[in-house]
Amino acid sequence: MRYYKYIVIALAGTWLLQGCAKDLLNTVPNDRISTEIFWKTDNDATLAANAIYLDMAETADHFIGWDCMSDIVFTNPTGPVEASIAQGTFNALNSRISGDWSTYYAGIRGANSFMTHVGEVQTTNPALISRLKGEVRAMRAYFYMRLVSLFGDVPLVTTEISLGESEKVTRTPAAKVWDFVAAELDTAATLLPAKQTDLGRVTKGAAMAIKARAMLYAGRYPDAATAASQVMASNTYSLYPTYKTLFSYAAENNAEDILDIQFLPDVYPNNIFQAFAPRSVNANSKWVPTKKIVDAYQMKNGLDITDPSSGFDPANPYLNRDPRLGYSVFVPGDVLPNGKTFNSLPNSTTGDAVGSSFVVSPTGFNIEKYVNKEDLSKPADCGINFILIRYAEVLLTYAEAMIEQNNLDASVYDAINKIRQRSDVNMPPITSGQTQDQLRAIVRHEREVEFAFESLRYFDIRRWKIAGTVMPGKVNGLTYKDTNGVFQTVEVPGWTQTWDDRNYLWPIPQKEIDLNKNLTQNTGW
Amino acid sequence: MKKLKLAFASLLLALSFSSIIAFAQTGIPVSGQVKDEKGQTLKGVSISVKGNSAGTSTDADGRFSLNVPSRESILVFSFVGYDQQERKAGNKFLDVTFNLSNKQLDDVVVVGYGTQKKVSMTSAVAAISGKDLTNRPVTSLEQALQGKVPGLTILDKGGQPGAANTPIVLRGVNTLYTSEDLSGASVAPLVLIDGIEQPFSNVNAEDIESISVLKDASSTAIYGSRASNGVLVITTKRAKAGKIMVNYGGYYGSQKAVTTPKPMDLASYLHLENLAYKNVGSAPPKPYRDQDIDAYIQGHATDPLHYPLPYDWYSRAFHDAAQTNHTLSISGGNENFKGRASVRFQDQNGIIDNTNSKVAEARVNTDFRVSSKINVSMDLDYRYENDHNPYGLANILQFMTQNAIWVVPRYPNGDYGGGAQGNNPLLLIDKGGYNHQVSDYLIGNLKGVWQIVKGLNFTTQFASHSTNVYGKLYQNTWATQDSTVVKKSNLHNMLTESRNDNRDYTLNNLLDYSNKFGDHGLKVLLGYSQIQYSSNTLSAYRQDFYNNDVQSLSAGANDATKDNSGLDAGWGLRSYFGRLNYAYKDKYLFEANGRFDGSSRFTGNNQYSFFPSFSAGWRISQESFWEGLLDKVNELKLRGSYGKTGNQAVALYSYFPTLSLVTYDFNNLAAQGYIQSQIANPDLTWESTTESDVGLDASFLHNRFTLAVDYYKKRTSGILLTLPVPGTLGLQAGPQNAGKVDNTGWEFTLGSQNQLGRFGLGVTLNMSINTNKVVDLAGTGPFYYGTDQNPRYTIQEGYPIYSFWGYKTAGFYQSDADAAKGPFYTRTAKAGDVRYVDMNKDGQIDANDQTYLGNSFPKFTFGGAFNLSYRAFSLNFALQGVAKSSVRMAGAFGQGGNYEGMVPDIYTNNYWTPDHPNAEFARPTKQDLRNQTNNDRLVLDASYLRVKNAQLVYRLPATWMKKANISQASVYVSGTNLLTFSKLNAWHLDPESMSGVQNYYPQISVYSVGFNITL
Repeated sequence: MRYYKYIVIALAGTWLLQGCAKDLLNTVPNDRISTEIFWKTDNDATLAANAIYLDMAETADHFIGWDCMSDIVFTNPTGPVEASIAQGTFNALNSRISGDWSTYYAGIRGANSFMTHVGEVQTTNPALISRLKGEVRAMRAYFYMRLVSLFGDVPLVTTEISLGESEKVTRTPAAKVWDFVAAELDTAATLLPAKQTDLGRVTKGAAMAIKARAMLYAGRYPDAATAASQVMASNTYSLYPTYKTLFSYAAENNAEDILDIQFLPDVYPNNIFQAFAPRSVNANSKWVPTKKIVDAYQMKNGLDITDPSSGFDPANPYLNRDPRLGYSVFVPGDVLPNGKTFNSLPNSTTGDAVGSSFVVSPTGFNIEKYVNKEDLSKPADCGINFILIRYAEVLLTYAEAMIEQNNLDASVYDAINKIRQRSDVNMPPITSGQTQDQLRAIVRHEREVEFAFESLRYFDIRRWKIAGTVMPGKVNGLTYKDTNGVFQTVEVPGWTQTWDDRNYLWPIPQKEIDLNKNLTQNTGW
Repeated sequence: MKKLKLAFASLLLALSFSSIIAFAQTGIPVSGQVKDEKGQTLKGVSISVKGNSAGTSTDADGRFSLNVPSRESILVFSFVGYDQQERKAGNKFLDVTFNLSNKQLDDVVVVGYGTQKKVSMTSAVAAISGKDLTNRPVTSLEQALQGKVPGLTILDKGGQPGAANTPIVLRGVNTLYTSEDLSGASVAPLVLIDGIEQPFSNVNAEDIESISVLKDASSTAIYGSRASNGVLVITTKRAKAGKIMVNYGGYYGSQKAVTTPKPMDLASYLHLENLAYKNVGSAPPKPYRDQDIDAYIQGHATDPLHYPLPYDWYSRAFHDAAQTNHTLSISGGNENFKGRASVRFQDQNGIIDNTNSKVAEARVNTDFRVSSKINVSMDLDYRYENDHNPYGLANILQFMTQNAIWVVPRYPNGDYGGGAQGNNPLLLIDKGGYNHQVSDYLIGNLKGVWQIVKGLNFTTQFASHSTNVYGKLYQNTWATQDSTVVKKSNLHNMLTESRNDNRDYTLNNLLDYSNKFGDHGLKVLLGYSQIQYSSNTLSAYRQDFYNNDVQSLSAGANDATKDNSGLDAGWGLRSYFGRLNYAYKDKYLFEANGRFDGSSRFTGNNQYSFFPSFSAGWRISQESFWEGLLDKVNELKLRGSYGKTGNQAVALYSYFPTLSLVTYDFNNLAAQGYIQSQIANPDLTWESTTESDVGLDASFLHNRFTLAVDYYKKRTSGILLTLPVPGTLGLQAGPQNAGKVDNTGWEFTLGSQNQLGRFGLGVTLNMSINTNKVVDLAGTGPFYYGTDQNPRYTIQEGYPIYSFWGYKTAGFYQSDADAAKGPFYTRTAKAGDVRYVDMNKDGQIDANDQTYLGNSFPKFTFGGAFNLSYRAFSLNFALQGVAKSSVRMAGAFGQGGNYEGMVPDIYTNNYWTPDHPNAEFARPTKQDLRNQTNNDRLVLDASYLRVKNAQLVYRLPATWMKKANISQASVYVSGTNLLTFSKLNAWHLDPESMSGVQNYYPQISVYSVGFNITL
């Protein structure tokens, strides 16, 4: 009996030892895939290319953040890092600056990996591989366009570099980076189809439109004009008939949309309704239009509101204005997505009254562009696509590039007037016989109002070198009659913006300088 | 609260009354004399009558006399440091001789994989008996341990039922792979309950026999790769052979917040805001205009529904809450079978409505003597916890200080007000939905010991531990409204259900040998251990239910928003270890430990690592030359240790180069993508800590006083650190072994046991000092975390981990002219702005002028336990505190009305104006945080001393108990966190509050009445 007990226990012990010892130290994750098994099939190439789109995509806050750094949008409250850039109090530690640097280089890494490894794929569909290469190269050029326009000279990295190499790279002169961008986009355009089955992928037209913008930013006006006219000549794109609905769900992927960020509720949503719409519709008024942009819209007769003969009535400031104001900005009297009337006047008792709380718009204006009533009930789960490049920009790029070359032919007027005379805009056309300076002012004004809240303004005021004029000072909002009948203009309390010319280039992020002694800092930083 | 105080008082009265009755007894006189073994008379020996409260003590000649109920009465003689002796009264005169047997000689301490005699220990181990933990009501074991062990820093960061936030750190923070609030598990000590790794919270405090805190490398190295943060070895109670014992304990407690923030009064707030607007050159809007202020104050007095207070949440949301606890245990058996079973029920309501935690647990520990050589034990422990909280509690707490201004909390018709921003924390507490979590823990622990020959034992232990957490998160639809205007609504009700299953299996095999060869004592241990862990999570989501009462996944809208996700993870650990103890004449002691650990978290040659340790001790008091001193210093031991331990706290699969899944969409159809986002580091290996410790243990005057001193020096190197990598690499950094951190410190424990007649006094004092310093960051850093307006922490060489970083200040600018001379933080300093110090004297204030401002982890921690007894009464209380600890005020607490946050009343008449040039706070400004960026004015001294608990116990007279066949019974009243001395009292904040916006669940005080009975 006693021995029997021992045997049972010994057997039990042996069983315990054996029972759970298998592969104890070789746990393999089942929620991710190893790099070793990748780059085998066509689908792998597609999956790798798809991932790069996420680095081109932007959140609503990031997208509108560009305009916040300019004179046309104010952020409320002033927490976001873009606010300190607008105010002029930022430095090389600013997280928007380091974040953008890293994001674009992450995209570039993805693209470089793709270009390095795509050859390993045993392809059954060379056309697919070639098309994907075009998409990836165009996106890589897009990332460099952003980097070089923000930072000036940046390291031009075109291979999968190691950690050690990344600690030694040097800044490539901006001109060389622009050369690369131009060449890559030309190549990409030859690889890409005019239309993609998957809407949202980079097309031939998109590659050329990116090139047009890049060359305009680079000041290479002949190249910009050529690239723009190639897009125009492709007959693939046209202006969407109504500006009012251009940013609605119904207009997604329309013929004016050349490149966009594709959103899908629940799957890949944005929160643009929450970020833009007024307080009274359950939103945050986080980013709001300033007096500057509202005043920039002309009267319907084509005259600036500052022109004494324009007919501007300070008591009815939104009457008879460029219709794009009404389509882009919520001003008092506008109908909100919930059917109620927007009234932000300080003495109104609505939830949108200026000064009633710091979460309402401190200017009394809200952005209307991209605010769709479909998103009213789920303001942080919106699917509306953000347009990165639309045909109107190509037209104005063409016009500007021609004007800068002092090439003031009819095509220039035609391009500008097409935009002014969109059916529901219908502003008076620009009459011929303008000087280069006059046309330059016209095209710049047209860009400001046409593309308000579409993330182009910050780049424009930097390359036009007008930031020093438009940025400094207080931020104001609507003008109203107080109880004594005196006109008062709303001012954002405690907020003064400044501009330093060193801001025309962002500082290289401090972290990058710390980690790589070969990187030099921009002048003034 | 008043009711409870009344109950306290009446109970005290009743107790005193009953003791008077006990006094009044008379009986047969007995007298005698007490001597030690050498014939010396002993003074101060206490004598009590067993089962009776009568007692006395010996005088200077060792004499005593007292009355006993009968000749059969048993007298109990006790003297500190000596074995207790019992004598039947019998004769009129008793002559008692005490043997000088030092009972501490036989005290045994539980150590890694075994036990050791306390006197022959060569390492730094603190032992706490279960009794010391349960002598007051505790909702968490962590709180019970706070202040008890030098070197063990326990922070109490809030008292949410079932989710008390109490990080534990032993001898300083060793690793950087954590966050500044110490929430990462990688700083916590390894906790073993009966040899099996388990969460600290999973054990019933009443089941604990002892806790050993293994502090130095000598004691912890046997746990190798998981030992860097120290080890807590918990042993549960087991039955003794004999009569069946039944014990019941229960208490009722009332909890309240230790303190809650107090908002500024209405008039002061309106004036502050008025000035804040004017100070930035803006006209104040309604209701801050000059003409509004008096009208608003008047209005509030008569019509608060139209003129609500700016913030009125704390007084409405917090209230006293009840807590009950019942424990029942049965134990006993015979030589062949012994068993102990215990159950506990706890019901804790939170001080916020709809917060509640219920715990039910049961443990059965059994011991079988299979044969004279084989013993088997089988233990089962089951724990059920049911936590209920409102949906989004963190958000709710935030609304009490932010984004819920001018709100009518609740209208008479039941509507919840919305104010300007539409937020109402009361609504969210009452109707916002819930966060419900039910956890089941089950541990089975099977152990067999085979005595192969005398002195040689083989032990095998197998345990299975599973944790199943079921979560249900339901967000209601709701609306806030003022009159008929809906201010804010949540239109979709949403349900997330989750399941999280973890299981682990542990196998331990030990062979131990111990023998004595003349003067040579030898102990050898060899062992093998393996742990296999796996976890699985599953979660599902639906929304749009018919109404808030429909709460089943299948009843939600079957639309595109439905969602599910799941994840598996696993790790394994395989270890070989050994220990050798050698003692010569019990005088010279030597120990060596080693562990060879293999972990699935690493690959290649780094998978296995070796962790050795050595220690030695010299019992000076055993030397012949000491004999003359034994009367004064009866025990003196010097000991020293050196060793290496490891930490494997690296994210699973970090060495594995992988591509992660990302989701995008084309043409409104989801599209997957794969991309490498992080550098894989196949060279990853263990963090290793080398630690040396020198200690001294001494006992004085026959153990009347005890002293333990330890000095330690730890260096942790190869710290797993996510080093920043250049952005141009295009990948995120993975963990790398880089960086060194030093922790050095002192620990002191002083104990004293005294009996003065019928008064007994026991005191234990402890203090520890820890200095933490980042020594090397492998050429990188400094690293900064946080922003200008929130606490900014740094990890940089020469400073403690996660130090506060910001500007030094030198008062305020007193005139605009003064301010214009700069240097400026912003370009427009004015009178009343903070004068930042230009540290590098370059004429401007920028990031380069920031410097060290303090550290939230305390440098000094101290505690004291006091036990006073007199006859049937005993009073226990504990003090606890820290010094050199800082806290950073942010959010509403730092902004001083800049936005629309609640302004704490400490700002009242305490901000700069020309009339108050020496105020504590800068001039108020609006939407201008120039004075609120990280600076030393907002980093406050968080040192404190508090009465952690006090308890008064009365043991009911044995004569009463005898009639009822009860062996022992006592009642008590008790309170925790009774009194606090701290500079943060002025802020109405707990000194252990968290840095930042202070929107956390407050610490609680518990006042309770309890009852214990043993049959």
